[in-house]
Amino acid sequence: MNENRFASAFLVPSGLWLLLLFVVPLGFLLAISFGYTDDLGEAIYGWNPENYSRVFDADLLPVLVRSVGFALATVVLCLLIGYPVAYYIAIFGGRWKNVLLALVVLPFFVNYLVRTYAWIAMLGDDGLANGVLGGDIRFLNTPYAVIGGLVYGFLAFMILPIYASLDRMDPSLIEAGKDLYGGPWQTFRNVTWPHTMQGVLAGSVLVFLPAVGDFVSASLLGGPDEVMVGNLIQQQFQASDNWPFGAALTVVMMAFLMIWMVLYLRSAAREARGPA
Amino acid sequence: MKRNPNRRELLRGGAGLAVGLGLAGCGAGNSSSGTKEQTEKLIKKKIDGDLVYFNYAEYIDPALVKKFEKLHGIKVRESYFDSMSAMMAKLRAGIAYDLIFPSGEYVQRLISGNLLRKIDRDKLKNVDAVYPQFADPWYDKNSEHTTPYGMYATGLGYRADKVEMTGSWRDLGEVDTEDRSFLLDDFQEGIGMANLVNGYPLNETDEAKLEKSQQYLVDLKPNLRGISTDTITNMTSGNAWIQHLWNGDIVNIRNQVDNPEDFKFQKNTEGIPVGSDNFAIPVNSKHPGTALVFMEFMLDPENAAQNVEWIGYPMPYDGGPTEAFQGLVKDDPEINVTVDDLENGQQFENLKGDGRLAWDKVWTEFRVS
Repeated sequence: MNENRFASAFLVPSGLWLLLLFVVPLGFLLAISFGYTDDLGEAIYGWNPENYSRVFDADLLPVLVRSVGFALATVVLCLLIGYPVAYYIAIFGGRWKNVLLALVVLPFFVNYLVRTYAWIAMLGDDGLANGVLGGDIRFLNTPYAVIGGLVYGFLAFMILPIYASLDRMDPSLIEAGKDLYGGPWQTFRNVTWPHTMQGVLAGSVLVFLPAVGDFVSASLLGGPDEVMVGNLIQQQFQASDNWPFGAALTVVMMAFLMIWMVLYLRSAAREARGPA
Repeated sequence: MKRNPNRRELLRGGAGLAVGLGLAGCGAGNSSSGTKEQTEKLIKKKIDGDLVYFNYAEYIDPALVKKFEKLHGIKVRESYFDSMSAMMAKLRAGIAYDLIFPSGEYVQRLISGNLLRKIDRDKLKNVDAVYPQFADPWYDKNSEHTTPYGMYATGLGYRADKVEMTGSWRDLGEVDTEDRSFLLDDFQEGIGMANLVNGYPLNETDEAKLEKSQQYLVDLKPNLRGISTDTITNMTSGNAWIQHLWNGDIVNIRNQVDNPEDFKFQKNTEGIPVGSDNFAIPVNSKHPGTALVFMEFMLDPENAAQNVEWIGYPMPYDGGPTEAFQGLVKDDPEINVTVDDLENGQQFENLKGDGRLAWDKVWTEFRVS
């Protein structure tokens, strides 16, 4: 009993944290999504479900699908790039491990926005990349540039959890796999990969969520057809002064993502339980 | 040294934070207005503490700020906003600033919420040099709350070495730029331009007409490479040959490239959106005296002339400041905002109720299309 109370005391800080920084703001968001805007552009609480009918009138589906598509592509690319990097650092890093990890994190000391601006200078028609390649390649204002910006922006969120799970793994397991006549690929598939599944899942979620709501990459690196849902929401808060509509858009996007997440987590859980 | 980015944009991302603060401060719901009495309290033009000032980043010559600090032995504490909405969010959250830089539209909003202090304009030295067009502007009756700051006009920036222009807004979609045309990502400027092209007033809100303007934008889209506010980067990187932009952007672009003579500004025949930013003192200012002294400091012809050269936007003060800007753009006088432009140009107004929603809808549907 005593121990139980002790344990619940530990829940207080995180519970408060969740309440203040998650539940309460979400409540505000929900409340304001039913509000309206006065003539001065100020959001007023009220009952105005029209915000939601406007969301569905706007034919948002293509934008939502595009946002999810870009985010999924970002996750796949981050995984393809991030896993080998994490693997190299964890297995072969030796005494350089911490230095290498610091190098992964270092770019994050610079604001994401500023780093994205740097890509414009590098990938512009008269930019560095075209200068070096001597070509006339149109990098910017394409879907590839947007996805590239997202991958660059969120790559570390993939590397770090995978690194953590690799670091936790007992390296003698790999030796054991080899002792059992497993080739490098078989050993990886049957030993290493399953052991790092948690890290891969965590990294995928950490990359997917910020990517799907991002507006910076699409706004700086995209063309007229690369608009993401984040851009529409940002527009309402930053320019049109229509917070209620922006809040309604946000709620709809969250609901849409929630459905995906639940489906995904359920299938992941089923897989984890195995066919047994 | 002159180097400064687009006055309106640059770090929009950071503004997300400002909005967050606004929400946290519970901007919504509690109508955060002042009272009439608060606005009328007379301000003594006397230093009464440090100046807490709130502006776009890089929108004033820092040397002048230093000079002001030295002159009066005080500190200027600067903070920045990146959009008018973000500025409003902070003001609504109750943060106290002594001096802010709102555009005409926002001045009107702030006044109607009793959020600006009245100033005794006649007591300001050099105020007579302000263009008469600003003696009784539409957003501030008898200019009781503001003095004007940078003036801007919207047009098309273009590469004279790459394209032939005709003087029309339609050049944006019709002149062949090998897919290097950019529209401003600004719902007012975008819809306003479409209205002008269709021969409607800038601030048209009639639904049938707005539908035509929306159609114009949708038809324009395949001819655009991007919809973007990074006008300076777009043009200096060679990505844009025609860019919808504000006149001061071109000045700043020309300062950054090796071939400034190739970068020109076109004011379009269908009409020109014009406007100005302003100095104003919020009602909750703790040092309104210092703010007023600063307003007067910026009216000084020498200071204003120096500032015009740094920010790249003209200020509507006769004499030195006007001449300084004319000198700055003597290769391409189109960049200037003249008295003529002020009289013939159109200014964005505060749209009310359904009109505002209609504009918002047009832009959202255009972006989604």
